[in-house]
Amino acid sequence: MAASVWKRCVTAAVKVKCLSPSLSARRWLLSAAYTDTKVWEAREKDPQNLALLATTMDRTYDRNLPVSSLSVSRFVDNISSREEIDQAEYYLYKFRHSPNCWYLRDWTIHSWIRQCLKYGAKEKALHTVKNKVQYGIFPDDFTFNLLIDSYIKDGNFKSACSVVEEVMLQEAFDLPSTQILSLYAMGRYQATRPQLTVSEERALGASLLICGLQQDNTVGLSAQLLGNALLGKVEMSKGIHAVFRGMPLYWGHGYLGRALDVMERAAAAASGDVKLTKDAVDYTNDLLQELSSTSDSDSSGAESAGEEDEEKKEDHVDEADQAERAKLPQYVTRFKELSSQLESEGKVDSASFQDSASALAHQNLAAAEKPDLEQYLSRVQGWEADNRQLIVREKEMRMKAEQEKNERLAAKAAAQQA
Amino acid sequence: MAKKKQLRLIAEMARKIRAYRELKSRLRESQKYALDYGTMRRPHTGKMLPVLAWQDVRRESRLFSLLAGMRLFGVGRLLTRKSWLEEHAEPSYWQITKVKVDYTAENLDHGKAWGILTLKGKQESEVKEVAKAMYHDWRLVPKHMEQQLKDFVPGPEPPVRYVPYPPLLRAMLLAKHKKAAGSVLAEEPVLPLKRDVLLSKDYFRSQEQEAQRTEGTAV
Repeated sequence: MAASVWKRCVTAAVKVKCLSPSLSARRWLLSAAYTDTKVWEAREKDPQNLALLATTMDRTYDRNLPVSSLSVSRFVDNISSREEIDQAEYYLYKFRHSPNCWYLRDWTIHSWIRQCLKYGAKEKALHTVKNKVQYGIFPDDFTFNLLIDSYIKDGNFKSACSVVEEVMLQEAFDLPSTQILSLYAMGRYQATRPQLTVSEERALGASLLICGLQQDNTVGLSAQLLGNALLGKVEMSKGIHAVFRGMPLYWGHGYLGRALDVMERAAAAASGDVKLTKDAVDYTNDLLQELSSTSDSDSSGAESAGEEDEEKKEDHVDEADQAERAKLPQYVTRFKELSSQLESEGKVDSASFQDSASALAHQNLAAAEKPDLEQYLSRVQGWEADNRQLIVREKEMRMKAEQEKNERLAAKAAAQQA
Repeated sequence: MAKKKQLRLIAEMARKIRAYRELKSRLRESQKYALDYGTMRRPHTGKMLPVLAWQDVRRESRLFSLLAGMRLFGVGRLLTRKSWLEEHAEPSYWQITKVKVDYTAENLDHGKAWGILTLKGKQESEVKEVAKAMYHDWRLVPKHMEQQLKDFVPGPEPPVRYVPYPPLLRAMLLAKHKKAAGSVLAEEPVLPLKRDVLLSKDYFRSQEQEAQRTEGTAV
């Protein structure tokens, strides 16, 4: 309700900042101008009959001929109801499995996400983005921002974090607005203290790490620390291959060591602004305690268990991973030293990760949005130009094909008569 | 005296049709390189993969398994191979420029890729097809590590070492020189341990032709 009231009060020319007195009243992060659909709706329309397009595409596929990206983009642009979204999903899947899959246009992807959000099919959008291999949906940063923001608006932080995970898999944390939004989403999700499976831990850790690498402040460093700690936990339990398989992560051992390096960097940083949040440090502490206690119970349990089981476990674990696990006590001692050093230097921020992320969002998001919007406007114009060019080219090709067909028919008729 | 070769038109036609049918029935990459991960056999040939590769096949991924999940199939990204990481200390990677994916594969994880190779820090100048794309050996270089790989400057090449010839061959060379020039050869003939020439059929053919030109009979 509040969102629609906001949208009605806003015109395209006026940028309205979301000023709200308390954090709880603020339900979304991106300003209304960012999520406004006016610019997108103002593009030239290319009305097509969806049923006609669908039958043409089906016939082309049956005849084993390639379907052009223009037909797919027209289909997605002209969606007008929820059922048509399902049909469009099917055609996106078919296009991805056709010879032209490389040529799926950026504006088609953007339009698809916009249409899903418009007709309330957010889960569908998330599903296609998650299965990007099958659907070919690789949204650009603006589109990712829109998607994350819509999930934050609903308060569904788990799905917001899965979108952030997709951004991480694309390594698309280039824009500061994306970084801020992702850190906020992850902070809120972390605050709910969810029970994470190993794969979820791995994904969250990787997103925290890669997002935090881009930011050089308290939030960034704490995110790096948390990310490295989570990945180190997975590394200790499952081995390094389970960590970097399918993720854009470095394959070197010692993620916990790298977490401690982050702490060292924070301690050694010259400026006083760069700190680490207390709950990040506490979380790492708990994690290390948990790992050392499980490794102790493992070693004591193995003595009592049969020798066969022990041998089987040894086969699975690599030599390098075993060496890594042996380093755990060293990590614990080093962590204790570093945390005491940080506290003595006063570099432990008492605000929680979530609060620091929200504070960051308050300060920087408005400034980060401006260049985004300008870039988006220029991008939309570029897309429109490309679209027009494609339409012109299609018309020319059709005319040429008709001409050739007429010539062939005329030649055949002449040959028959003669 | 041989009979004049008959004009076998039908045989020509049959040959052309056979060539066309072979072209049409070429296997897709996804069919050729499909693998049953349970028995480690390729369904197409029924052959089993070598045993030393089994652990890698279970743990690592093919090139296109990585590229399928990336925007534009990873054009412009760097990819390394695990065997290079273990073998060479200097970074070696492929930078992808062009991709032709096999669209009949369900997960789009087979195909051909072209790119620029950087082996042991030395970048090549031409775009070549990525070799061994179907091996389960590939790793994606994350963007935050890309600069580290690209910044690496390879050290100077160690100088070429020389070694004396075996005694009989050395004697033959000195005798040949004395016969041809009249004077004794001043320098010791040495054999460079690095060969500049690529050994191929053309090279051997050209060497034989030269030898035939210069020497009438064997020594």
